[in-house]
Amino acid sequence: MTLVLLLILLALGVAVAVSRNLLAGILFLSGFSLVSALLFYILRAPDVAITEAAVGAGVSTLIFLWTVKDTDGGDA
Amino acid sequence: MRRLWSLLWSVLGLALAALLAGPILLEDSPWPTLTRDLTEGRAVSETGALNLVSSLYLGYRAYDTLGETIVLLLGVLGTLGLVHAASRPSPSEGPRKLRTEFLDVASGKLGPIVLVFGFYVMFYGHVSPGGGFQGGVVLASGLVFLALGSREAVFSPLVRAAFLKNLEATAFLLIVSSALAGLLLGLGFFADVGRVWGLPSVSFIVALNVSIGLKVGSSLGLLCLVLLERVR
Repeated sequence: MTLVLLLILLALGVAVAVSRNLLAGILFLSGFSLVSALLFYILRAPDVAITEAAVGAGVSTLIFLWTVKDTDGGDA
Repeated sequence: MRRLWSLLWSVLGLALAALLAGPILLEDSPWPTLTRDLTEGRAVSETGALNLVSSLYLGYRAYDTLGETIVLLLGVLGTLGLVHAASRPSPSEGPRKLRTEFLDVASGKLGPIVLVFGFYVMFYGHVSPGGGFQGGVVLASGLVFLALGSREAVFSPLVRAAFLKNLEATAFLLIVSSALAGLLLGLGFFADVGRVWGLPSVSFIVALNVSIGLKVGSSLGLLCLVLLERVR
């Protein structure tokens, strides 16, 4: 299970790095946070999992989205 | 040519990551166990918190938590200053396309529930996973839901900038005064002052959790609401 989650994380991380669309990159990053929160929970660190889910998938995604709003949304 | 360079940089990055992670993965000496065993044996009786994570970061290392709080305060202040300096009169966009009945109803109803969950995480941080920071961030998301779900005319008083600012200042004052109270009573910095009045030692951790949660929730909530331009 841990290995599967780590592979998903790897795939999502590569997707964040290579995606040309900033909005897609942010959504991949949010998914990355969500999967790592699941991983933390499986590894018995529920405190860290709550923080990762709330900060990584929630608040930081919001802040990134607000920033992207003022760009042209992709790689020039 | 450009592809070649980016390939080269990626190889270099991977090599650096391997260099950093390699020694940890290849090392065959056992992990240190002294601190772990000490915490497992004594933390519950010394701090009264069943959740060992909170007994560590509020019972033994509250000084670090104070530092984190100050870092968060500075980060929020800096961001608000930048946003204030960069804010320009937004062109009249008319009604926002994003606003739908679904968003209004769902997030307006979800907000109070998320707030209650945040308070639960905050108040029960000493027995179950959670604590001040986690609860505070959940509170901030609840505030964002409330702000998204309320129509222009019926803004909840909870999402007004003045209220959030006052709450943040009060919570920070609580944290600092609970840190200094021990000094005045001759017990030491961040000492458990409840002992003087015969309170169980866990009450100090609960009080710190609640004040940190209010602080984090109000500052992060204010930051998100200012970024969303949904604050009065």
